[in-house]
Amino acid sequence: MEQRMANTWRMTVNEKKFIETALESGLRIDGRRPFDYRKLEIKFGKDEGSVEVHLGQTHVMAFVTAQLVQPYRDRPNDGTLSIFTEFSPMADPSFEPGRPGESAVELGRVIDRGLRESRAVDTESLCILSGKLVWAIRVDLHILDNGGNLIDAANIAALAGLLTFRRPECSLGGENGQEVIIHPPEEREPLHLIVHHLPIAVTFAFFSYESSVVIDPTHHEEAVMGGRMTATLNSNGDVCAIQKAGGEAILQGVIMQCLRIAAAKAGAISDMIKKEVDSYNTKRALLKIKRHSTPMDVDRGASDIGLKQNSSVDQMRVDEFSGHHVQRIKQECEEGIAKQSGDVESETKLSDKTLTNRSNEDTKNFIGGPSSWDPYSVGVDSDSLKASLASQGMPMPIEKQKDSKGEETRTEAKPEDAPENNNPKTSPLREAESAEQANGEKTLKDAVKAKNRKSRRKSHSSSGPS
Amino acid sequence: MEIDRLDGRTPNQLRPLACTRNVLNRAHGSASWCQGDTKVLAAVYGPKAGTKKNENPEKACIEVIWKPKTGQSGKTEREYEMILKRTLQSICILTLNPNTTTSVIIQVVNDDGALLPCAINAACAALVDAGIPLKHLAVAICCCLAESGYVILDPSKLEEQKMKAFVYLVFPNSVLSNLPEGQLKVQGEPMEHGIITSVTQGAMPVDDYLHCLERGRAATAKMSAFLRKSLQPKLPID
Repeated sequence: MEQRMANTWRMTVNEKKFIETALESGLRIDGRRPFDYRKLEIKFGKDEGSVEVHLGQTHVMAFVTAQLVQPYRDRPNDGTLSIFTEFSPMADPSFEPGRPGESAVELGRVIDRGLRESRAVDTESLCILSGKLVWAIRVDLHILDNGGNLIDAANIAALAGLLTFRRPECSLGGENGQEVIIHPPEEREPLHLIVHHLPIAVTFAFFSYESSVVIDPTHHEEAVMGGRMTATLNSNGDVCAIQKAGGEAILQGVIMQCLRIAAAKAGAISDMIKKEVDSYNTKRALLKIKRHSTPMDVDRGASDIGLKQNSSVDQMRVDEFSGHHVQRIKQECEEGIAKQSGDVESETKLSDKTLTNRSNEDTKNFIGGPSSWDPYSVGVDSDSLKASLASQGMPMPIEKQKDSKGEETRTEAKPEDAPENNNPKTSPLREAESAEQANGEKTLKDAVKAKNRKSRRKSHSSSGPS
Repeated sequence: MEIDRLDGRTPNQLRPLACTRNVLNRAHGSASWCQGDTKVLAAVYGPKAGTKKNENPEKACIEVIWKPKTGQSGKTEREYEMILKRTLQSICILTLNPNTTTSVIIQVVNDDGALLPCAINAACAALVDAGIPLKHLAVAICCCLAESGYVILDPSKLEEQKMKAFVYLVFPNSVLSNLPEGQLKVQGEPMEHGIITSVTQGAMPVDDYLHCLERGRAATAKMSAFLRKSLQPKLPID
């Protein structure tokens, strides 16, 4: 035990005095003003619902997964949302593995209260069969690096994860309509969660000296502070939760001022989160369009990455995917949409035959978000894309030649269950479509087609745009 | 007969490797290692005072904590921790700092096959970043055996599930030295042919296991070169 105490980090008296003295003149040790946030970066991972947030030196990772469970007895129509916080020992030498300490429990509770009590995530839409089956959403927060102000960073990570997570769509079937069929992502597009508003946590640190208040304390400031308050607000100015557990007594006027500042900060941060999530969704939507418009990219390896037809759209694609693509990817094309046949994205698409074989396996893998992102796995079904585009009321510029699989009739009927959260994608999709249409016929199309023949098992009809 | 891999690689081709050092601020050493889509983050906290109860206080002790992506830590995680600990113990110089504990924390960011080798590579890079004295580095690789008897390197998760058997192999990294050739051989064989760790899953005939060893050794030579290049300190250009 003594050894563990010897390992804890203690701040020297000189450092404490320095921080306090600087705060008297309104200076913080990292050069910020008292009410400035540190730089916020939100990065999304491979799976849907996985996000990494960097708030200054604080790193937090969030993973969102979903599972079908029985609902609670007193709430048969509601899904559940649970937050699990892991204070990983890599974040701070004083974090011990095993049972969560008080600060870990407090963080989990504050974020949980902000999300659950304010009904930010709509749980009624998670119900499949009342009283029998509902979706249980699980958010795992991993604190990787403790640079101070873990609550705010973890909250942002949880929100970004919930906004980008998509759960598989399921429908009721069977003889008496009681059987639940879960559709793998290749069959039907997974759905976003319905998030009504974004509760943003803003943390204030109080110092006894001259009653200074700062926002977003670093871990040095946290070691010096006299008390802390976290206010969770949304951009409408509603207070979702306030947490001030002990610490020194603060004047009422100061608290009110803090709440006003928090309202302003919450608006700014939720705009930033929405912007990042939107750009991520746009990239993903473009990826889907790309996949369907590049059936000819068989045997195109890295050598083709040099050929760029549409540099503006390709640019972000290559940045995102060149790191993930292997040199030679073998493909078998499923549909022929020739929008950008000369496009250089080397995507992997399997034929229908393998699709049906794999869909059985993939049904087991749906937990944890669909794998439609994985460039090595089955490509996104073009039918679902068509349906989702149609559901947005956009004209369908893409005519596709289909294998006779009967999918057409199924997807035609699909548009009515369009999720409303496709709407933010509408405008970026529209831009992408017009960008593609502007390019016209590709010069390499004929060259690619000849190469294509031998590896395409199915005989596709001509894939010219109509 | 050529085996068709899902992503078009040849049986001997590895996925693209990426290694970043010093990704965390609080940890004494940290590294993130990606093999294709499998990504692991490792952090090291340098020698801390004291060893655990059951450990020998006359030597340095290594503590490994494995954090899965979601869910609770279970038996698989304990097994990985144990394998990693024994592997790292054989490459660290344990007599230098007796009665200390070095903690290695592994966080799985994404699992797409060959998770344990990726973690071992990340842990080595993190130990180097922390400045822990090591005898030599270790490179880890996964070889699997297909139904047809073909040996495939570095499988993805889907490939791993379909294989008859697979083996995780850890070799010492190849040595670049000024000494004459003879000095580094151990009993007539070059040092990098030694096997630090071998974990198999599934049954495979002895000959196939030896094939896997050969292929693994050849591949780890490439990985050693990559590791050496990425761990070299980047000097500022004057």
